Amino acid sequence: MKSKMMAGSAWWIGLTLVVLATGCASKGVKNPSGIGVTEMEADEKGFVAGTGIESQDLVAVTDKMARSILGIPQIANALTPPVVLLDPVLNETRFPINKEMFLTRIRVLLNSKSAGKVQFLARDRMAALETERNRKLTGQVTSTSDARETEFLGGDYLLTGTLQGLSTRTSSGTSDYILYTFQLINARTSAIVWEDFAEIKKQGLEDASYR
Amino acid sequence: MDRNSNQGNQVPGGVCLWLVLACALTGCATAPESGRWVRTGDPIVDGKTAIAQGPARDRVLWQYRTAVAAMRLGQFAEARTLLDDALATLGGIHGPDPEARRARGLFSPEARKGFLGEPYERVMAYYYRGILYWMDGEIDNARACFRSAQFMDSDAESQEYANDYVLLDYLDGFATVKLGGDGSEALARARKTAKLAQPQDYERDANLLFFVEFGRGPKKYAAGEYGEQLRFLPGSSKVKAVRMRVVDRVLEARPYDDLTFQATTRGGRVMDHVLANKAVFKQTTDSLGTGAIIGGAIMASQQGHDSPVDEIGAGLMVAGLLSKIISAAATPAADTRAWDNLPQYLSFTTSRLSPGDYDLEFEFMDGGGNPIVDRTRQVRVRVEPDRETVVFVSDNNP
Repeated sequence: MKSKMMAGSAWWIGLTLVVLATGCASKGVKNPSGIGVTEMEADEKGFVAGTGIESQDLVAVTDKMARSILGIPQIANALTPPVVLLDPVLNETRFPINKEMFLTRIRVLLNSKSAGKVQFLARDRMAALETERNRKLTGQVTSTSDARETEFLGGDYLLTGTLQGLSTRTSSGTSDYILYTFQLINARTSAIVWEDFAEIKKQGLEDASYR
Repeated sequence: MDRNSNQGNQVPGGVCLWLVLACALTGCATAPESGRWVRTGDPIVDGKTAIAQGPARDRVLWQYRTAVAAMRLGQFAEARTLLDDALATLGGIHGPDPEARRARGLFSPEARKGFLGEPYERVMAYYYRGILYWMDGEIDNARACFRSAQFMDSDAESQEYANDYVLLDYLDGFATVKLGGDGSEALARARKTAKLAQPQDYERDANLLFFVEFGRGPKKYAAGEYGEQLRFLPGSSKVKAVRMRVVDRVLEARPYDDLTFQATTRGGRVMDHVLANKAVFKQTTDSLGTGAIIGGAIMASQQGHDSPVDEIGAGLMVAGLLSKIISAAATPAADTRAWDNLPQYLSFTTSRLSPGDYDLEFEFMDGGGNPIVDRTRQVRVRVEPDRETVVFVSDNNP
């Protein structure tokens, strides 16, 4: 009987030790040595993810738009490369983002893949360009052409886009749907000559301790 | 003799076990705890030190606190960086989080999880970032922040209190108007939920925006036998309105939103159920332990030494003691870490001025409409020609 009792006590103590040891183990810092830098593809879903706009969305959307633009007759069949002006994307979602990245990536894709079928204007560099032209006009620097003639190009088309979102948050989680639409607008007639869209929906639920 | 010698052998064994237990408990008490740092009294220096050297779980908390302190000191670039980092953490919390999972465990406190704040705190992080975006002329990103802020308030237990920040809807609509859209729907929502003051019509050509805040926001405390219930102490404010003298025009900003109201109308959290279960566990194991110790002591005292009942009693006492230890190790206390430099009231107003430099005067008014002594501020503002000038006004501004 006595040995049974002692065995019982030892069992309890052992159980307690296990429980305490488990508790203590979880007291440590997670990944105390850190995690080495993991290089990932930009179109790859990382281990840090939210329901917002992420790099893989940017890559997927801009890839689709660049391919789509190159296929339209106004670009593919143009005798001289059309000149495209970028107009900032309008963000109507709930996610603050650097929205210029969308047009930047589309521009770079088109410039690098289209073999000169389209030209873009560096209007964001106008201040520097005008300074340089003024230097040429005043003879401070040399010029290979007549600096008095205006050679800054006007745009044939305006490339722009809008990001719109629908968001829901309930006890079941968070859902975010983003609609990405892009347009190519004839700068002379205001006709929309091309339009395409991409849509991405994400859902997630945070840990109960954050709800 | 044998029995005595057996007893003599058992005691050291028990002592050893208790020593191991004591060591185990001591080990828990001295678990790794980074975060010793010295306060200097400078909120920015202290905040940055806490972020760099304090516990990782408090990083976002200090980013919040330091960001708003920086805004009140006019260090907007600093605030921008801090809030961007905090919001990046806040935006990526979906899915499994080991620390958050452990915070739900019986023997880990809720406060071990990384701090993100209650909804009213998350709302304010987005709200402040929205102000900074507007300062930078990024109106659509500012609107995105106001929308995200309202979104943070959307899972209140009672739908009556969901998405009910007046100012966030108002600013959503105003930003839309400024972007050439129709903000009437958002304005109607703002007016529908308004309780403290009715929002004014949008001043479409306004180029001077005043984001106004005053008072001290709500504080958190833990109630319940084991501190398992998260509760809020109401914030306070002597200031009830702000009067602004803008050249020949006098503007008055009355509060649209009350953060105490927002903090206390969210309703129960999922985590409250977890903590309640922890408290029940703690109470049950404590009561069982008490019962076992008392029962064991009674049994052990009823008959002579070494009788079977005596041994059962001893066993019960040991089991009771262990149950007490387990109870003591359970941690149902609610997380009371709080963004403690938030205001009580939020307001907003607009005006229009020609481009140039202006000296503006802000008077903080009490409930009787009288300026509070020593609270009047003079601020020099530059109005730019082609964009809105954003002025952040707080009675906590130095």
